[in-house]
Amino acid sequence: MTTVVTPRPSGLPDAPSARAGTPPAGPPPATRTRSRLGARRRRNALLWALLLAGPNVLLIVVFVYRPLLQSLYLSTLQWNLGSPSARFVGLGNYVEWFSAPTTGRVVTTTLVFTVATVGGAMVLGLGLALLLNRRLRGRGIARTVAFAPYVLSGFAVGILWLFMFDPRYGLVQELLGWVGLESPAWYTARPWPLVMVIVVYLWKNLGYVALIYLAGLQAVPQDLRDAAALDGASSARTLRSIVLPLLTPTTFFLLVTMMLASLQSFDIIKAMTQGGPLGSTTTLMYSIYEESFVGGRAGYASAVATVLFLVLLAVTAVQMRYVQRKVHYA
Amino acid sequence: MSHRPARRTRTAVAALAAVSALTLTACAGPSVGATASGDASAEAVDWSQVEPAKEITWWSNHPGQSQELEQQLIDEFTAESGIEVDLVTAGADYDEVAQRFQAASQTDELPDLVIASDVWWFRYHLNDQIMPVDDVMEFLDADADDFQPALYADYEYDDQHWAVPYARSTPLFYYNKDLWTKAGLPDRGPETWDELVEWDATVKKEVPKGGSTFGLSTGPSWGAWWFENMIWGQDGAYSDGFDLTLDTPEAVAGGEFVRDLFHGSGVATLSADDAMADFSSGLIASTIGSTGSLKGALDAASFEVGTAYLPDGPKGGGTPTGGTGLAIPSSKTPEQQLAAAMFLEFLTNTENTATFSQATGYMPVRTSAVESDAMKKTYEQTPQFRTAVDQLADKARVQDDVRVFVPGADALLNEALEQIVIEDADPKAAFEAVTPRIETAYTENVEPYL
Repeated sequence: MTTVVTPRPSGLPDAPSARAGTPPAGPPPATRTRSRLGARRRRNALLWALLLAGPNVLLIVVFVYRPLLQSLYLSTLQWNLGSPSARFVGLGNYVEWFSAPTTGRVVTTTLVFTVATVGGAMVLGLGLALLLNRRLRGRGIARTVAFAPYVLSGFAVGILWLFMFDPRYGLVQELLGWVGLESPAWYTARPWPLVMVIVVYLWKNLGYVALIYLAGLQAVPQDLRDAAALDGASSARTLRSIVLPLLTPTTFFLLVTMMLASLQSFDIIKAMTQGGPLGSTTTLMYSIYEESFVGGRAGYASAVATVLFLVLLAVTAVQMRYVQRKVHYA
Repeated sequence: MSHRPARRTRTAVAALAAVSALTLTACAGPSVGATASGDASAEAVDWSQVEPAKEITWWSNHPGQSQELEQQLIDEFTAESGIEVDLVTAGADYDEVAQRFQAASQTDELPDLVIASDVWWFRYHLNDQIMPVDDVMEFLDADADDFQPALYADYEYDDQHWAVPYARSTPLFYYNKDLWTKAGLPDRGPETWDELVEWDATVKKEVPKGGSTFGLSTGPSWGAWWFENMIWGQDGAYSDGFDLTLDTPEAVAGGEFVRDLFHGSGVATLSADDAMADFSSGLIASTIGSTGSLKGALDAASFEVGTAYLPDGPKGGGTPTGGTGLAIPSSKTPEQQLAAAMFLEFLTNTENTATFSQATGYMPVRTSAVESDAMKKTYEQTPQFRTAVDQLADKARVQDDVRVFVPGADALLNEALEQIVIEDADPKAAFEAVTPRIETAYTENVEPYL
């Protein structure tokens, strides 16, 4: 064994020696005590960390990662939901999904639904937030009214709007009648059922987007606006060059959360159209439910769920990597 | 190197092991590669040695808005037997109850008695989720021979019965009697579909703006049910046993017939949501509705409601039976199963099936109930109730296997029907589009278990 003697800067305590054949001289008593104290503190810190984070980590593992892994496992099986037995098919379910004639329709519907609901909610939500940010009478009530639909149950909202869209007796056909328009066959003729669920989804989530944008708007420093006004910038110019860039963290946050929520939306579709007619409102999320609980093909549905998970992961990763770069933090 | 990384590694390994253990436990799921089930695996139980449980649970969707009546029957049963029954609303319709039942399989959360509709009971049986009821019903002297034969036979497979009929129905032809009179038509439904087409010109003059002579709605557990009458009327069928026959000229003729009804002669219109609601409001002059909708229609309509047999096609016709039975889960203890069977026997005895029929319009499931004084009185006062029972005797036909036995096939057949009815699609192409998907459902979810 060789002894390595490292030159040490002066003023530091000696390092414990490891000279061959002799017991280590050890640090002076004071240093040793400090080191023990440090180790104990570290141990305590670790214990506290485990104690505080442990329950949460356990919950996440049991209720998030465990089902995720179980779903991955089930996606390799041909399993009739409820049956005690199943057959291993490897990637068979995935191959089937990618070659199924209905996949294209489901993906297109999902894309249209997501782009329309996320894009629509962001644009309209920003407009609403700009309006609510003004010093108007009854602003508080208006904010509450705008946010209220967000806290309602999606299923209840769906049922209510279903009545309102009724082409023969509903409120919507009445309103359209006032301007001389005939109600489309909202329940039966494509693409109206999809338009209908998009409108309802937008109505339900608009308040949430507006509220978050409103918080963002109120964080925009007034002195920047004042400076822009002094420089003679119009309201539109201030919005474009000052407000919108400073809102990018909010926009980014909303883009991520809204997209994830939209891709996973289920309740309104289930309440209003059950994915029909003719699958015209069947999104990726809804098709998982249909395959699993209507068709009983739990293994295949798990494969579709895994595909959806990968899509969500990819969307989030792309947004984190590319969109976040363009975010301006004030 | 210090010791810290090593300790961290150990902690990480321990955590990983814990997570893996949890995960592997989670991955227990179904047994892979096990022999296909679907047989009557239960060993014979000597019911005379079994003491019934004191408390059981029943999952229902309260068909025909019967929640209050079901609770009333439970109270009477508890007073008589001392057995408590917890009535759980397990869904809004048969499908929702079934989905919850499937999801709860292999857990301790299963009920002791469950709704088992015409398109779901066989799936329960294939999954070994329900027990045959023959032995226990015999032990209870439930007189199974008294059940209406066509209704009890629906649950027969492998020489055993897997459910007992409860809220059973057939589709009926409903018509607006007042409007019929105004149009100068005889007080009866059309005997054939051709006759309805002939009557269309007269009826159409009497319906309000936006209405029609005949309206229908589609949807899962519904469209493919009434369409059986039309496809049979052309001598076609969905299947012969489990062999699909959607490509036969007769089946395609059935598709052509319904297409013409909506897009050719224009006799029929598609109701936006619920055809019975359109009928009750007077917008459409006639429709097809379930027997179970009769009480609701009688209460809701401001005109006199007429009921008739489903019309025939050029090659005959017939009516499918439908609705729901009740099944007993196989995984429960014999004590719970016996208590459930006792309640089942009570629920479907002559007196109670008559009470249920009077309150809802569903058919009495026992022959003795049809002939009982209570039902005779009802039929006298409200003859519309009688139509379903007579139609069952005269025109009932066993449903095509594929619709009721292949999981998801009903929804796919409905999809083909919607293609034709909503989009004016070529029936041959519409049937061809769903055929491979029904075949997959059969080869994956039925064939291995037979």
